[in-house]
Amino acid sequence: MQQITLKGRVIVEGRCKAEALVSTKPISFLGGVDPNNGKIIMKNHDLYGKCVKDKVLCFPHGHGSTVGSYVLYSLARKHLGPKAIINQTADPVVVVGAIIADVPMIDRIDIKQIKTGDTVEVDAHNGLVKVLKNVES
Amino acid sequence: MYLTKEEERIYDGEHGWANQICMRILVRLGELFNATKLIPVSSAHVAGVSYKTLGDAPAEFLRALANANGKAKVKTTLNPQSFDQEYLSRKLPKDIREKQSNIIEQFRKMGLTTSLTCTPYYLERPKPGSHLAWAESSAVVYANSVLNAWTNREGGPSALAAAIIGKTADYGMHRTENRQPNVLVDVRNLLQNEAEFGALGIYLGKILEDKIPTIQGPNNVSETKLKQLGAALATTGMVNMFYYNTQLEREETEKISVEAKDLKRTVESLSTTEDVKVDLIFIGCPHCSLNEIKQIAWLMDGKKVRSGTRFWVCTSRYVKEKSEKYVKRIKNSGGHVLTDMCTIVSWTEILGIKTIMTNSAKTAYYAPTLNKAETVFAPLKQCLKTALEG
Repeated sequence: MQQITLKGRVIVEGRCKAEALVSTKPISFLGGVDPNNGKIIMKNHDLYGKCVKDKVLCFPHGHGSTVGSYVLYSLARKHLGPKAIINQTADPVVVVGAIIADVPMIDRIDIKQIKTGDTVEVDAHNGLVKVLKNVES
Repeated sequence: MYLTKEEERIYDGEHGWANQICMRILVRLGELFNATKLIPVSSAHVAGVSYKTLGDAPAEFLRALANANGKAKVKTTLNPQSFDQEYLSRKLPKDIREKQSNIIEQFRKMGLTTSLTCTPYYLERPKPGSHLAWAESSAVVYANSVLNAWTNREGGPSALAAAIIGKTADYGMHRTENRQPNVLVDVRNLLQNEAEFGALGIYLGKILEDKIPTIQGPNNVSETKLKQLGAALATTGMVNMFYYNTQLEREETEKISVEAKDLKRTVESLSTTEDVKVDLIFIGCPHCSLNEIKQIAWLMDGKKVRSGTRFWVCTSRYVKEKSEKYVKRIKNSGGHVLTDMCTIVSWTEILGIKTIMTNSAKTAYYAPTLNKAETVFAPLKQCLKTALEG
């Protein structure tokens, strides 16, 4: 196992360890994620068809309507939400969503260092993201 | 960010979950934009009201907030919902009506005024220099540019948080240094009717990014035309304010030239069809002022709306009550004056409306996607010519 630790800025405190789901594209929660099953429904998105449930969701930043914040809340209430959110640059829609949904969130992280399938330990009290990589892969 | 003792107590949850979550929203957004403190606001305006655009997700959060005793501390108005109470609501399924009413009920519990309008400034004009926390991009641009009140472009949830705390974070448009014009747009010989002002907004919004333009155009322009310009600027751009016919202090400002052909092309792009048989002619995006209602009544002058054509004028309940005799004339001509609703977030598809003619550039821009409708974009006089017999 190889391990790297990235340091970012705390947006919402919390801790978790889960599998990473990484996108190179921005995500709009309104119209981009199905609030009934947590799947990415935006066509032409690199995560199209993937489910955000229980993942450490990593993407550059959010975009789109502020209603997206409520979608994140709704997902979390139905236990369909991500375990944590890691952004390159936090934007107001995702920040407000993470606060009301109480999802740990860190930004200012170089998400290119994280690959889908990596196990990630998020310490969103200290802004630390520990990426555990399987060297064979 | 500096917080007072009282603000810290709210942040730590001593005033309950609703206040805590709202304070966290304000503080974290403030930190994101390098605010150093919170400042009081004189009013808030909350968007995100139509069940059609919200869906089911937000209702859960709004109910949780209302049940946890979230209460607005300052006067807070609400954006339009997805139907009016008299005309459209009767044509809609019960399920839709109930879900919409439930959303409104949660806002009511939190002490928000159910004004259901995108033009809260016609109900009460904010004082120049006052700080606001308004969502609804067209109202934000109007407040900053025409009324000289100071507000950021809040999102639905952050405006609600500001309403409940009575404050907002001190950044962006709340700071003098961020309200200076930095690009000059000369359109003195170009603009005539309100539709062209709207088209200019659509055109500029795409190229200005977050710059603040000072627009040099014709003199003695009505607030209605500036309302159309601002609504359109916010539709395609990040623009939060513009100056109109004010002198620039610095000479070296960047200049943008807009040619007649740019404007013409934009006007044309806002129509998706040349079909003259339209299902709906719609005036009132943003909601009509008393003056606009008067003008429409005047122009209709005893004529009748063609059969097979719907003619809608959208406004607030407040303005409708103030303009009763003109409303009556519009009704007698076969038009509908609808309140509480916004056509682009209403259920036009359910009514079988496939073509919408409007003088609003914002509506013309959104209707193809939000209403799945073809659009015809034209000034008021031409809209009325199409609507009326003879």
